Amino acid sequence: MVIGHTLRRAVFFILIAVTTLLALGLLVTVFHTDGLSPIERVLLVLYAILFSWICVSFWTALMGFWVMLTGRDRWAISRHPGTPPDPAAPPPRTAILMPIYNEDSQRVFAGLRAIHQSLADTGQLDGFDFFILSDTRDPEVWVEEELRWQDMVRTLNGKGRIFYRNRPENTSRKTGNLEDFCTRWGARYRYMIVLDADSIMKGETLVEMVRLMERQPRVALIQTPPVPVNRESLFARILQFAGSIYGRMFTAGLNFWQLDESNYWGHNAIIRIQPFLDHCGLPKLPGREPFGGEILSHDFVEAALLRRAGWEVWLAYDLEGSYEEIPPTLIDYAKRDRRWCQGNLQHLRLALSHGFNGLSRIHFIMGVMSYAASPLWLLFLIATGVEAFIQTQRELVYFFGQNWMPVWPVSFAVEMTTVLLVTLTMLFLPKLLALLLLLKDAKLRESYGGMANASWSVVLESVFSVLTAPVLMLFQTKFVLAILMRRAVGWPPQQRGDHMTSFKEAALAHGGHTAIGLVVGGLSYLYVPAFFWWFTPVLLGLALSIPVSMLSSSIALGQAAREWGLFLTPEETNPPAVLRYLAENLQDDDAVLPALRDRPPNHFVQALTDPYVNALHLSLLPERGPPGKRRRHYLEGLIHQLEEEGPDSLSAAQKRDLIAEPETLLRLHALFWSRPPAGAALP
Amino acid sequence: MDRGKVIAPHPYLPPPVAAPNTDLLFGRLHAYWRALGVSDPAQIAALSEQALRRAAELPDTLGLDPLARTLLAASELLDDWLAQGSELPRTPQRLAAIRAALLGGVTPDWPKTLFAPPGEGDNLRDTLAEATAEPTPEPMPSAMPAQPIDLFSVLAEIRRLWQKTPGA
Repeated sequence: MVIGHTLRRAVFFILIAVTTLLALGLLVTVFHTDGLSPIERVLLVLYAILFSWICVSFWTALMGFWVMLTGRDRWAISRHPGTPPDPAAPPPRTAILMPIYNEDSQRVFAGLRAIHQSLADTGQLDGFDFFILSDTRDPEVWVEEELRWQDMVRTLNGKGRIFYRNRPENTSRKTGNLEDFCTRWGARYRYMIVLDADSIMKGETLVEMVRLMERQPRVALIQTPPVPVNRESLFARILQFAGSIYGRMFTAGLNFWQLDESNYWGHNAIIRIQPFLDHCGLPKLPGREPFGGEILSHDFVEAALLRRAGWEVWLAYDLEGSYEEIPPTLIDYAKRDRRWCQGNLQHLRLALSHGFNGLSRIHFIMGVMSYAASPLWLLFLIATGVEAFIQTQRELVYFFGQNWMPVWPVSFAVEMTTVLLVTLTMLFLPKLLALLLLLKDAKLRESYGGMANASWSVVLESVFSVLTAPVLMLFQTKFVLAILMRRAVGWPPQQRGDHMTSFKEAALAHGGHTAIGLVVGGLSYLYVPAFFWWFTPVLLGLALSIPVSMLSSSIALGQAAREWGLFLTPEETNPPAVLRYLAENLQDDDAVLPALRDRPPNHFVQALTDPYVNALHLSLLPERGPPGKRRRHYLEGLIHQLEEEGPDSLSAAQKRDLIAEPETLLRLHALFWSRPPAGAALP
Repeated sequence: MDRGKVIAPHPYLPPPVAAPNTDLLFGRLHAYWRALGVSDPAQIAALSEQALRRAAELPDTLGLDPLARTLLAASELLDDWLAQGSELPRTPQRLAAIRAALLGGVTPDWPKTLFAPPGEGDNLRDTLAEATAEPTPEPMPSAMPAQPIDLFSVLAEIRRLWQKTPGA
């Protein structure tokens, strides 16, 4: 089997190398007529890098197409017979972890409830515990989380099964959050299933993941492919459609060549805890940010460390029932990119580190390229423009030396067109292949709205991706440059819910893109008109970025497209029970706890005034000694500020400090009851 | 701008009363006991008397005005009864958890049960134990050592090559 694995990878990389060399050969033929100029050399290098990057996607898609066409991959993790678990061994216990940070509590708990309900449907609930691992700093969200947790425990009779904790300090962000779980409670469990705040997983899938791990003792991690769901805006529905219809094929392709050396995407994955404890403690990288300091994109590194220690990491491409929600607008999508970009660029240093497996290095490089490709494309476009301008300035010479016959310039239009067509084919053929796969399965075809609707959706999605690609290219280039220039990249919480992009927001985000599109368009039309027409798809995307961003954020347009049968996904046409549970939980937000049901406008004030909320919050604070003198004076000052100027005068961090200290909390409770402020709803 | 005019800010919390009269003290205590779920006026009066006595015993180090101190005393009284009733160690977090369970509505008529004669309050103890939140399981500490990552550096590579060279 190992030889088979190697053979698959060899074929994959040979195909990439051969395709890249062929395309490069064509381009060299075009350039080499009168020797290679420096700019042509630059173009060749850039084209080689970018084309091989496209080839990785293309051949992955083609392999995925083959797997989907012929049935399931015989080496997929789900098909391994494995070894039956020892019947004498205690049944495994699995912790389902949801690390959260200032998220929308209603959505987080509605999702967790849905997963719980779905797991209960399987009858296997006893093997699982739920952990809400909060790193939330916002005091409003913090108190609401506590109430929602308690409400969930009561409603689902989840005492001793549904746990909650808020870390006093969010050291090392998500990595530190998970590490805190592992070192404190990890030994209680054999597996952990890591979710994201917007993850949803079917109960059956969770049970199946545990079953697979039980039969494969050498496997440390199984990643499931999360399918994007639940968004209503046009932008998100287009991405959901693309993720669903092409994603199936791509993940099958990824598994085809990665096999037991796959990757970890940070959530919707099951992890064997002991090897994770033994091998995945992350060090701080030496040096300053962006390449030094804390490892930001921890998932790739953890997978590489597990592989380095000899454990297997798999992508269960055929395991369905794993979902996530995606950013609702183009701007939110770019914001998410900004958070991920620095972490991925950091991998450049890790790709060259000693001791990692070859495929782990490839994963690192792929991570880097997913952002570095943008500035490279931009450079390529600029270099092409400059080269085109130089060509227009040349005067053609028909008579050389003693020749009395004219020497006609050789036309390379055929070669140039071939290079362009090959590149376009590599980009768009996978979309066509994914569509063709629908012909194989009538039920699946219907779930995408039928062949005609799916075809129209693919065409429109392709147009949309052409329009948005240059905008994302400029966004990502900006992020890469900012990071390289050591400008801080914050980690603001994502705005996950559907919302419209206003003109002001769009103009602020895309004003520069529009200006670049118009100026470059004008210049190229004036000085290199032939180039202008080739360049129109990029120029159009930039010039129209404001209306495209605004219109695509429209929920009404997203819903209208759905009514027209466009961008439908199986999860929309026939939602699985777990997604129906989520929708119901969001709609019927009927809390058992009066403190939550009454929807107080201010949870911070509620924690100070409501005796129940005050007691619950106090009970969840970690035990620690009384504050030191300096701290006491600081808190004293905040209490006076609150007394005099009210809660609105305090920052979120100051409010948090006040309710994080038990003695202060009790004191404020007494203060508020002795001198109730106007509007605090105290008798 | 009129520099001579000073606008006194309206404080968010009304200013403290240095020597509150009995009406004010009983009024606030009455409101607080009701918020805790005590509805019997006779019981409220008796509990308020106890709270006043306890407030007098509280140390003056807390920096609270007399009214706030009385309310803190009322809150502490409840904790005392709960600690007695539940026979649990008196850690602030544990007591707060029991108080939350009590105030969360598991026993709507808790004063009747809590102040029941000895032997008759067992039911409340069990109900509270059942309803007390368990935020996390008992920890089972494990180590997660940071893994060494030997990063690429040109200097280190040269040093490595140098060390590999025979005779170096």
